[in-house]
Formats: sequence, C-alpha cells, structure tokens
Amino acid sequence: MKLSVIMPVYNREGFVGSALRSLLRQQDEADLDIIVIDDGSSDGSVAVVRELERQTPCIRLFQQANGGVTRARNAGLKQLLPQTELVSFLDSDDISPAGRFREDLACFDADPDLELTYSRMMLVDRIDEDALAPAADSNSITVRGIHLSAGIFRRGLVERIGAFDEDFLQAEDTDYLLRVFESRPRYVMPDTVSLYYRRHPGNMTKEADVPFREFMRAVHKSIKRRKSNPSLARIEGIFDLKDLAGWRFM
Amino acid sequence: MRQSDVYAIASKDIVFESFDGEAVVLDLATGKYFGFTDTGSCLWEALSSGVSPEDLVGAATRSGQVSAADLDAFVARLLEFGLLAPAAGQAAQPLSQSLVAQLANAAEPAQVDIHDDLADLILVDPIHEVEEPQGWPAVKQAS
Repeated sequence: MKLSVIMPVYNREGFVGSALRSLLRQQDEADLDIIVIDDGSSDGSVAVVRELERQTPCIRLFQQANGGVTRARNAGLKQLLPQTELVSFLDSDDISPAGRFREDLACFDADPDLELTYSRMMLVDRIDEDALAPAADSNSITVRGIHLSAGIFRRGLVERIGAFDEDFLQAEDTDYLLRVFESRPRYVMPDTVSLYYRRHPGNMTKEADVPFREFMRAVHKSIKRRKSNPSLARIEGIFDLKDLAGWRFM
Repeated sequence: MRQSDVYAIASKDIVFESFDGEAVVLDLATGKYFGFTDTGSCLWEALSSGVSPEDLVGAATRSGQVSAADLDAFVARLLEFGLLAPAAGQAAQPLSQSLVAQLANAAEPAQVDIHDDLADLILVDPIHEVEEPQGWPAVKQAS
C-alpha cells in the first residue's frame, strides 16, 4: 500500500535532514512517498532536501512562496499520487520512530475497512541525531496527544474530510483531527509511538496568546459543527493528555 | 439581585475570546466550554468588562429590550458556573457604543450553555509549534 507522508518545511535546515532520514530508514517496511512542501524557506532547507532527493526517488520536493503551514499542508494533499492509499504527516523538526509504520500498517492489513490508526507520541527534549531516537540523557513523556503524525489515514477518509481550514494560522491540525473524529471514521488506537516530538520551549504554555486563541477557535468550530449537525460524533475517549498535567517543561 | 453590582471574570482559569462576535469562554480548571447566543455574547462581554447590569437593562435587541428578569437570570447562571464574581468596590465601566450596536443586531435570547466533552483537550494545552526554538529546555517531573 503506497503511503504518502506530507512534510511542510519552513526554515528548518538544522532539522529537516534528520526528519527525512527517520522516514527513509523505514523504506523496507512501507511503500513510501515523501511529499516535501518547502514553504518559501530562506535558509538552507531546500539544499538539504535536494541532497536527499538525489539519493532516493521516493522524496518529491515542491516549492512555493511562503504562505503558512496550513496552505503548505493543503499543497501536500494536492500532490498525492494516483496510487496513494494511505496518508500521514511528519513535521520537519520531528522524528518518525523506527518501526512506526510497520506496526500500524499491520492494522490496515488486518482490516480492509480500517480508515485510521491513531497512535501515541513521545515528547522529548533531546534527540540523538545519529540514532534518530531520544538521547540517553533525554527526558520524555508519551501520550495520545493531538498530532497529525499520530495518524495514518486511509485515502478515502482524507478525501471525505477535505482540505485543512486555511482560516487557521495555527491549530489547523487540531481542527482537522476534530473533523476527522467527528466524522465517525473506523479507527483503532494502537500503542505504537508514532512520533518523537521535539519539545521546544514555549509551545505548551497557556500564556502563548495566538496559539491558544487558535486552539479555542478550533474547539468553538467543533462545537458549532456538532450543534448544527447532531449526527457528528462527540470527541471523547481519544486524546489522553492527563499524564502531561504532572509535568512541567522548563 | 442588586443590579448595581459590578462583576469581573472570576479567576485566571476563565479565559475568553470572541470569534465573529460569538463569545467563547473556557474554564481551564475544569475543561468546560461555555458557548453563548448572540445576545448572551454581548452581555458576557459587557458584564465581564465591568459594565453594571443596571446599565444593560433596557438595551435594545432585534427581539426587544433586555429585561431586568432576563438579565438577572443570565447573571445568576454566570455566577453559578463560576465565570463571574462580584467585583466589590470597583467602579462600573461604561457600555461601549460598539456593544450597543452589536446588541441591536442580536436576536436570540440571552443564554449560555456548557459543553464538557472536549475537557480532555482543554485541561492540558495541546501541542503547537512556536515561532523559533529558543534553546533546549530542561524537563522535570513536577512533584
């Protein structure tokens, strides 16, 4: 089954190589198609991607003027191959764990009607760039969070959900996932660690006004959708972030 | 209820945003979401910024004037939900012209409703990108 992984890139020359290598090491376990959308980077990101693209045909790089991550994700969706059966996402500063695809693809093999696997993610403060895994002295925590990389989506589901909502500057991923789960997909929640998420300072605070406003908007839109269409599913029992509550990232 | 009272947002866990004139309030301590009708949104915005209920009675909406009884009931709900608290001794703020205009366009009854099915998300902030990394943080488990 062809699996297209969409990766938007904007000025991540220090990270995008590791992100791509973390996918490429899984080539034997998944029929990968890596769609990189460079969103007008002004650093050396494109050169890093081009170098890897030369080494493998499964990377396809597309460049566009800077338009933000939401449009970049949509540009990626437009580049799915005719034979793409499954879709996933990886951000250009994150790492796809070894074996991540093998584990979840088995679920699709076992259930032809399955539309989505939604797995766990590990937040980690230090990555070993050679092993592409958490460094020995890293701190980490694993949760079923809100992240596109946690999902592998059947193409039919992606087509049913449609594009990312370009009204969102951020939290487009939250909005998208809420729309996905509201639509009552056939899904499973494996315990696979689908992602090593590099923990940057400031990205989980309640004081970061713009992201939080965007998050509130995603919540607001979800509730409005469900009010006007009672057939949509309530979002319960999917995201489990409780363990994060006991942690402080300093 | 003494309508001369002035109210304020009850705690720092109560956060408020407005989207296209619709007020959205989250209680970060409980994960509850509070949604408002159009009239409710205007009244919340006014009351939470220190406008006295007294100054809202009689305000014109598309479905008539805001009555003292409706306002009392609305304020009582906001107090009951822990969204507002009396702000004793604070001076009442004037009702802005933009809110007067917004109220004049509002047609629904003043109501607030609660949703708690997204509490898992609201209780712990979701994970979003930041502009630029500022160096690697230490991670410590809180005791």
